[in-house]
Amino acid sequence: MPRDAEPSLNEKQFVITALQENLRLDGRELDQYRPLELSFGDQYGAADVQLGKTRVLAKATAEVTVPYTDRPLDGIFTIATELSPMASPAFEVHRPTETEVLLSRLLEKTVRRSGALDTESLCLVAGQKCWSVRVDVHVLSHDGNLIDASCLAVVAALRHFRKPDTSMDAGVLSVYTPAEREPVPLSWLHSPFCVTWSFFGEEGEIAVLDATWLEEQVRVGSCTVSLNKHGEICQIAKLGGTPVDAVSLLQCTSVALTKVKEFSGLLDRKLAEDLKRRDKGGFMSELRAENDR
Amino acid sequence: MPITILAPRPSRPTRKHPQEDASVTSDTDSEAGGVDLDGDLPMTTTRPSKRARLNTTTTQSTAAFEIVTPGEIITDDPQWMRGHGTYVTPSTTAITSSVAGTMTRTNKLLSVRPLRARYTPEVGDLVVGRIVEVQAKRWRVDVGSTQLASLPLSAINLPGGILRKRTETDELQIRTFFAEGDLLVAEVQQLFADGGAVLHTRSLKYGKLRNGVFVAVSGTGGGGGVVRSRRQVWTMEAANGGGLVDVVLGVNGYVWISKHVETPEAGADSSSSSKAAAGITNMEESVSTTMYSSQNDRIEVEAMREIARLRGVVTALVENGLRVDEDMVVRGYHEAVEMAMVSAEGPDDIYLGGERGQQLAAALRGA
Amino acid sequence: MPLDTSTYNLALLRVDGRRWNELRRVHAQIRTQAAADGSSYLEMGHTKVMCVVTGPSEPGPRRGTGGGGAGGAGAGGAAEVVVSIVIAGFSSVDRKRHGRGDKRTLELQSTVANALAASLHIHLFPHSQVNISLHVLSQDGSLLAALINAAALACVDAGIPMTDYVAACTAGSTSTYAANDEGADPLLDLNHQEEQELPGLTVATLGESDRVVVLVCESRVQVSRLEGMLAVGVDGCKQVREILDRVVREKGRRMVQEGTVEKGIGLNEMDVD
Repeated sequence: MPRDAEPSLNEKQFVITALQENLRLDGRELDQYRPLELSFGDQYGAADVQLGKTRVLAKATAEVTVPYTDRPLDGIFTIATELSPMASPAFEVHRPTETEVLLSRLLEKTVRRSGALDTESLCLVAGQKCWSVRVDVHVLSHDGNLIDASCLAVVAALRHFRKPDTSMDAGVLSVYTPAEREPVPLSWLHSPFCVTWSFFGEEGEIAVLDATWLEEQVRVGSCTVSLNKHGEICQIAKLGGTPVDAVSLLQCTSVALTKVKEFSGLLDRKLAEDLKRRDKGGFMSELRAENDR
Repeated sequence: MPITILAPRPSRPTRKHPQEDASVTSDTDSEAGGVDLDGDLPMTTTRPSKRARLNTTTTQSTAAFEIVTPGEIITDDPQWMRGHGTYVTPSTTAITSSVAGTMTRTNKLLSVRPLRARYTPEVGDLVVGRIVEVQAKRWRVDVGSTQLASLPLSAINLPGGILRKRTETDELQIRTFFAEGDLLVAEVQQLFADGGAVLHTRSLKYGKLRNGVFVAVSGTGGGGGVVRSRRQVWTMEAANGGGLVDVVLGVNGYVWISKHVETPEAGADSSSSSKAAAGITNMEESVSTTMYSSQNDRIEVEAMREIARLRGVVTALVENGLRVDEDMVVRGYHEAVEMAMVSAEGPDDIYLGGERGQQLAAALRGA
Repeated sequence: MPLDTSTYNLALLRVDGRRWNELRRVHAQIRTQAAADGSSYLEMGHTKVMCVVTGPSEPGPRRGTGGGGAGGAGAGGAAEVVVSIVIAGFSSVDRKRHGRGDKRTLELQSTVANALAASLHIHLFPHSQVNISLHVLSQDGSLLAALINAAALACVDAGIPMTDYVAACTAGSTSTYAANDEGADPLLDLNHQEEQELPGLTVATLGESDRVVVLVCESRVQVSRLEGMLAVGVDGCKQVREILDRVVREKGRRMVQEGTVEKGIGLNEMDVD
């Protein structure tokens, strides 16, 4: 397996010493994110998140299938992650690395298990037909903090997504094309976001947000907190690593809450902008004979 | 509904204190045989507010039997130096134990000997090892340590005399000396800084092992098992016409028991010394033919049975937590022969597992 | 089936009759496997786990298995901690096959490996590997906690130097996330039913300190509730550590009494001179 070159001892030392002096290599504050850019595609359900050099694309799709036999009243909701060699030579196709497994588990717990998407609303005919919503996460460029970027991309994609409208008429299920009826958004309950803290130093006393890849290679531990803007924790994952004081973990959580509120605001604003962009005059504009030329 | 709610089980009716436990176990010493399975402790329901510390909660009478456990602060007096099995937390001077074991002191050096650990090689140790890998100019040998030991081609006795120069042909034929899976007895010649060992077999005592059986017990640094002693290798007279039997107790806890084969060296000893001196080159010649042979000599059934009995003695010693050294093995062997005499199946009975092993251990403890 | 928590407020007793701050019965043994370097068996209530540790030892020339485990550290200057977890099909109420590539199992493996790597002094064993093999025989909640505890005990038994025990337990809260009542009590050591219905988290701490090695929360809970749950969890970890420590001490004392291990010198004897 090709491995990424590890930073040398001196390089690591430099990063850590700088952090101990409250200095990050890119001049950010310890609790400051890199410039975050969120854009939507022309199609519904495509979201592109750029966090510094990290870039993640998420695309939501839906199709009508048969529900699982043990859950006849629920639709199907899956999140697929793939880390391809495009992001880093350390990733191989069809062989999930530990990073990939942990990432997909985290997204699963944050978005799916916390009940962000109302899966019951995806059911069309109990036990026979339901929507299967699938989000594919593609990491286009990896420069650290994949988790936060991926989570934001997934949530943005799902909230941006519109599924075709359906109707039940005398036992006949009809699915309408976008031309016939305006597609409808998913029944969305809350928007969770991940905030990942990286810990540095002997005792893990330095907590840093949005670590770059170099910082991730040097860190001694990490803790990902998923929250929504109502202050509900959806998931916390500090999977081993250097022990960190319980009190500072609590502090991290409360700082994370403010970050999550920022994300939430940003996403709402972007969604509103996108809606405005698409909705140029609404129904009346389509009826007009003149075009842009 | 798949889940049934079970009524909560009451915790144990009597809550024994550790001290009581201790007195009970000391009475019935060898009650638990083989693998010790009763490490059970009743759970006290006290709140954790009082933190048990070794020196405050245990009475002085049992303190001698106490061990230290990981994370326990041994002392915060800066006069002591920390040895193996301890560490010092960065900001303090407190010496803390990092393993569970007993404390030892050498002048100002405090160290903790773990109850059980893998073998740590030391220069001069006699070890029994198994070849796991053959490389271009050396073998990698499993000696039960944390790393594989290495045996360079230059550190073995080449056939055709000790003083023969190592040639490229030897490198090409490296597998004819030792191949994967071969057992050998060797001495630790040198240690690397990271704990890896280099072995040598440059003596007639060392080399490939044949004509016997291998037993792995835990080595030094662990509880029970082989202890470093004056003699690790000896030849003993087996009972019931078994002839002479060699026993090699590797310090690493690997044991080899084999039929004694008259080496030319021993033959020379028995004959006149002048002849031995004269025939030193001949001796080397004759050694070379058998030294790296992968064929066993013919072993009589009687000898095999006694070898198996010795093996049983070693396993019984280990299972019952007794140390393995020359004295114990020899005494244990004689005891086992006596036990076989009085057993129903007569002297051929070599079974020493289970109760019989405990009986053997009890007899050795009592003696 | 929803868990009936309505009676809790009346008697302040949980479904299995415990109070809020009570652990279930913890039963542990070490040195259960004679052939292994270190081994342990641990029960936390009806959650039963076996652990076998091999190593630290140098992986032979036939590598490449990987074991689906997780490295604690790079291969270079320190030992690698590789954990493999086998969840028996009969371990839970509904018989389920857990494949090797099950993501949840992989996550558990990685968590246990990273948790222990934080405490074990793996830098002492370059080029080697510590193999921890865990077998889940029965599941009744607090699985991750039981796995960590069993692995920690087995590592102590194997004589691998470590900073301190890594002890773990779970904590929860009496009402579901929706009810934002401040009166919700924190609960210690959740069983399977409680784990299904109530918000909870798994905490592992290093020794007697308040420093958290593992913190895993997989259910929705108000952020204000976290502090109480964490406090109870950390407290529970200390109790668990006591229990684990007592198991090791008991075993050690018996070995010293039987003469398997030479007696140590007491601290008091040293203080004399």
